[in-house]
Amino acid sequence: MISPLLVAVISIIYFAMLFGVAYYADARRKAGHSLINNPYIYSLSLAVYCTSWTYYGSVGRAATSGLDFLPIYLGPTLIAFTWWFLLRKMVRVSKEQNIVSIADFISSRYDRSPWIGALVTLIAVLGIMPYIALQLKAVARTFDLLVSPTTVAEVGLQDLFPVLPTYVDTAFMMALVLSLFGILFGARHLDASERHEGLVAAVAFESIVKLVAFFTVGMFVTFGLFDGFGDIFNRFAQQFPERLSLFRLDTAAIPYTKWFTLTFASMMAIMFLPRQFHIMVIENADEKHIKEAMWRFPGYIFLINLFVIPIALGGLLLNGGDSSQADYFVINLPLAAGHPWLALLVFIGGFSASAGMVMVSSVTLSTMILNHLTMPLILRLKVDIRDFSAILINLKRFGIIGVVFLGYLYYRVIGDSYALVNMGLISFIAAAQFAPAVVGGLYWKRANKKAAMAGLSLGFLLWFYTLLIPSFVMSGWMESSILDLGPFGIELLRPLQLFGLTGFDIWTNALFWTMFFNLGAFLSLSFFCKQNATEREQAQHFVDVYGDHLVPEQRRRISKAPTIMEFVELMSKFIGEKPANAAISSYLKNHEINSRGSLDDHEIPALKSFTERTLAGYVGAAPAKIIIDNYLSTRGSEMEDVFDIFGTVTLSRTASREQLSVLYEAAKIVSRSSDLDKTLNGLLKLLMQQFKFDLCVIRFLDEQSMTLAVKAQMGMTSKHFGESERNLDMETYIGAAFLSNTASVVNDTEYLDKPESSQIIHRERIKSFAHAPIVVEGEPVGVLSAFSRTAKGIFTDEFVALFNNLARQVGIAWRNHQQLIELLNAREQERDLQIAKTIQMGLLPSGIPEFSNVDLAGLCVPAHQVGGDYYDFIRRQNGTLDLVIADVSGHNIGSALIMAETRTFIQAMRQIEQPYAMLDELNRFFCEDLSRAELFVTMFYLQYHPESGRLLYANAGHNNPVLWRQQTKSCEMIDGDGMILGIKPDIDFEQRETRLATGDILVLYTDGVTEAEDGNGNFFGESRLQALLEEHRDLSAKDLIDQVLEQIRLFTGSRHFNDDISLVIMKVIHQNPQDSTADKEQNR
Amino acid sequence: MKKTNTTSTREAWILCLILGVIMLNFPFLQIFNTGRTLFGIPILVFYFFVGWPISIFVILLFVNRLQREEETETSDDEEQS
Repeated sequence: MISPLLVAVISIIYFAMLFGVAYYADARRKAGHSLINNPYIYSLSLAVYCTSWTYYGSVGRAATSGLDFLPIYLGPTLIAFTWWFLLRKMVRVSKEQNIVSIADFISSRYDRSPWIGALVTLIAVLGIMPYIALQLKAVARTFDLLVSPTTVAEVGLQDLFPVLPTYVDTAFMMALVLSLFGILFGARHLDASERHEGLVAAVAFESIVKLVAFFTVGMFVTFGLFDGFGDIFNRFAQQFPERLSLFRLDTAAIPYTKWFTLTFASMMAIMFLPRQFHIMVIENADEKHIKEAMWRFPGYIFLINLFVIPIALGGLLLNGGDSSQADYFVINLPLAAGHPWLALLVFIGGFSASAGMVMVSSVTLSTMILNHLTMPLILRLKVDIRDFSAILINLKRFGIIGVVFLGYLYYRVIGDSYALVNMGLISFIAAAQFAPAVVGGLYWKRANKKAAMAGLSLGFLLWFYTLLIPSFVMSGWMESSILDLGPFGIELLRPLQLFGLTGFDIWTNALFWTMFFNLGAFLSLSFFCKQNATEREQAQHFVDVYGDHLVPEQRRRISKAPTIMEFVELMSKFIGEKPANAAISSYLKNHEINSRGSLDDHEIPALKSFTERTLAGYVGAAPAKIIIDNYLSTRGSEMEDVFDIFGTVTLSRTASREQLSVLYEAAKIVSRSSDLDKTLNGLLKLLMQQFKFDLCVIRFLDEQSMTLAVKAQMGMTSKHFGESERNLDMETYIGAAFLSNTASVVNDTEYLDKPESSQIIHRERIKSFAHAPIVVEGEPVGVLSAFSRTAKGIFTDEFVALFNNLARQVGIAWRNHQQLIELLNAREQERDLQIAKTIQMGLLPSGIPEFSNVDLAGLCVPAHQVGGDYYDFIRRQNGTLDLVIADVSGHNIGSALIMAETRTFIQAMRQIEQPYAMLDELNRFFCEDLSRAELFVTMFYLQYHPESGRLLYANAGHNNPVLWRQQTKSCEMIDGDGMILGIKPDIDFEQRETRLATGDILVLYTDGVTEAEDGNGNFFGESRLQALLEEHRDLSAKDLIDQVLEQIRLFTGSRHFNDDISLVIMKVIHQNPQDSTADKEQNR
Repeated sequence: MKKTNTTSTREAWILCLILGVIMLNFPFLQIFNTGRTLFGIPILVFYFFVGWPISIFVILLFVNRLQREEETETSDDEEQS
């Protein structure tokens, strides 16, 4: 018997110590030296798993049914093998997603569904209710035992303070104390994502205390009251040989199925009980701590279990086999042995175990209630509250009290009808319901919202039916007929033998059926239902959490987007002004602010996500989503549908695969065909197919009218868009794009600043459009345009970059086309010229007619491939020789044709005998053709009679031939009046006559000879020709020509001539001397 | 290299988990589920309270190996950088 006052004082001192630890931890954290950021504290805080169930209940269980207390601790040891993967992944995901509770975790994974969050919260609150009741019961009973060990009934407090109303029993007081603990440690200020370092430190401290206390009492019993382990077992075997089945399995109390059920349930519980989740995942300071905790935590639970059996057996031995108070052997044994201080230590240890659990559970659950039940309700009801942050913290505090007192209520209802362990197991199996949704959600991308919802609901319903209802029945609170006969007498639906499954204990029955329906619904719906885009995105965030952010941000835009300040205001409303300002300034540090003091259009969605994430840290993901969505919808802003320009796969920051494939496809189209129209249509088709535009147009600059004329278009037919040309000015978007040589983009046609364009655009119901200049070698040559009637905000920066690239491809196609045309032209011309040259060369005399007394030679060197020069020799029947030299103006096909025609005419008109007559006929015949072709011909026509040496000649404006007179050893020029052919139809050609003597040399030439230029612009000239003639008069005609050419080349310094050069030389070898000097003028 | 390490370690962990589950369940437990005693302690109790620390020791070995792997990785990284 210890004085209640002493117990109270000691307890208060202990509380003060706990607070001291918590405050110290908080102070250290503020100073930047986190106390809990080490693996020891982390491992110890995990021992919040060991509650008064472990502390008192294990001994009770060992004394009554045997070894089945063990699976509860073997399970966590086994699951610890998976921690480095499973737990670490949970921690990583939670950190990245700013997750604050298991409800938040599950709802975040499944599309931030508020319904799932609410359901998980409901399961958690109802599921943990018996567990909290267990703690209250244990603490209250041990308190009563301590102050009045003789009384079995729970009357301690009532005896001490009779003034208290009857419902204020010890458990009620304990509930009050523990709620206060929860509030003080967990809800002093609002910020769920910030870790509760004080709480964790206090829990870790409590873990030490409970281990030390339990270990001490274990040592005391084993080595103080008895003589070691062997002694206890031996004495027990002697005294209660019939109870040796306590150390056996496969007995009526512990069938193997139950053993397995308990192992499995505890494996799930250590992972998914809300408080375990909170301590292991949310409060984890460093992933590396998991590694240490993997063996330290199992080590802890091994130590705390080491003395369970000795204490149980010792209790049975000392109590004469009475196991009715077995749950409290731990405290009764030291009391009975006369060691009240030890009993007090045990009480403190037990209180620690309970308080830790209740504190963490109540804080966690109240966070969940606030985030997933209260907040959504407030938001849905649209309660107008100016400053949420103050209300939220109070709601959280009320939540803590509510959760603890719900446990108290359950304790009042169930009372003594259940042993401690049994109450705890109800909670374990409730926690197991989260397993499919969490594990499936972490490793299986297809796991979806509907599946999780269905699995959780069914699991919860069956848990309620197979465990909670029986617990109500056993406490006498409900009719027992439902257990015996089934509801409405339907035997198949008896909760403990559901669907006729008999022969199993209550836990196996419950676990089997809950898991069967939970897992069954989860798997099958995941298989058969589809996820939407955001759901898939979240699934990726969870499953591929280790990937290097493979998941690109979903691209969206917000219409009528809020400003930065508006986002800050929204945040302050929920989390207070200071944290909101701090959050936004840290965010903006890494983001560029544009000239309008705002973020770019495409940055706003990122800011929205940031706001949502920040809020999620305070109120959970699902409420944060509701807050943002509500806010935007009341503003009239909309998250515009993910207009995924690249099909179903979203964009990445750098060039995505889709972008590259589009460009690749475009490049292929450009290179495939040389037909410009085909290429342009191909590109437009690609653009239309890939991006679902309503109209795409390519315009090129028409240099004559200086407008942009449509070259190709695809999509809706519209006079205004597709077919008309555009003026080049800055008044239209397209003109601006061309003139400024940059793309002009309009993402929302409601905001246009060019009135000229807006009218048409609105008439055509265009929502967004872009013009990109088609640039060739830096110069715009046209514009590529795309219009959409369906979506705003298509033209993200990435897409504009791609669009510009496509415009460049159009430019390449255009340039290719231009070059091809030029090339074809050149080739065509070259071929023509080649043909012309061949023909023309063929037209020149192929051989020299042979005359016994005349040495003849002729040569034509065209400057270009075809020339207008022409010479010919015609041998007549009567033995005369006609010499013709002519020059058609120009050096092109036209000249060549005229030359050919001239030749044909002359050859055909051999019957015309006189030179002047020939010229006259020629002029008549050609005049019209020549003047039409704007060409003219100069010609010198000579007729030589070898027999007589007589030379007749007439001139049509040609250079005067040079005649070397052997007799006088001098040169003279021969000439005749006559105009150029092709000027007018009637021309009088003067015909003259002379006689040639032996040794005379006649040189006919075109202006290419005399007008050959040297580098200084001097002409070769007639005098040089004459001098040459004089010097080389002894050479043959052929050699003389070569000599002249050679000299011209030397003169010009070039092998090529600027003009055609034609030379005909006739050398008289032998001539009878008669009238050689007499020039006889002859008129026609 | 890193990937294969991680995968093989993960496989080893899961193997241990499965082994543990087998050794703590029917029919394996049936081996020790007899009335015999060892040093006066029922053999099943003995099995649990010796097997348990051994399994914790196995985890400790694995964790140490994990630690070493990581250390070599980081030192590799340092060398590279």
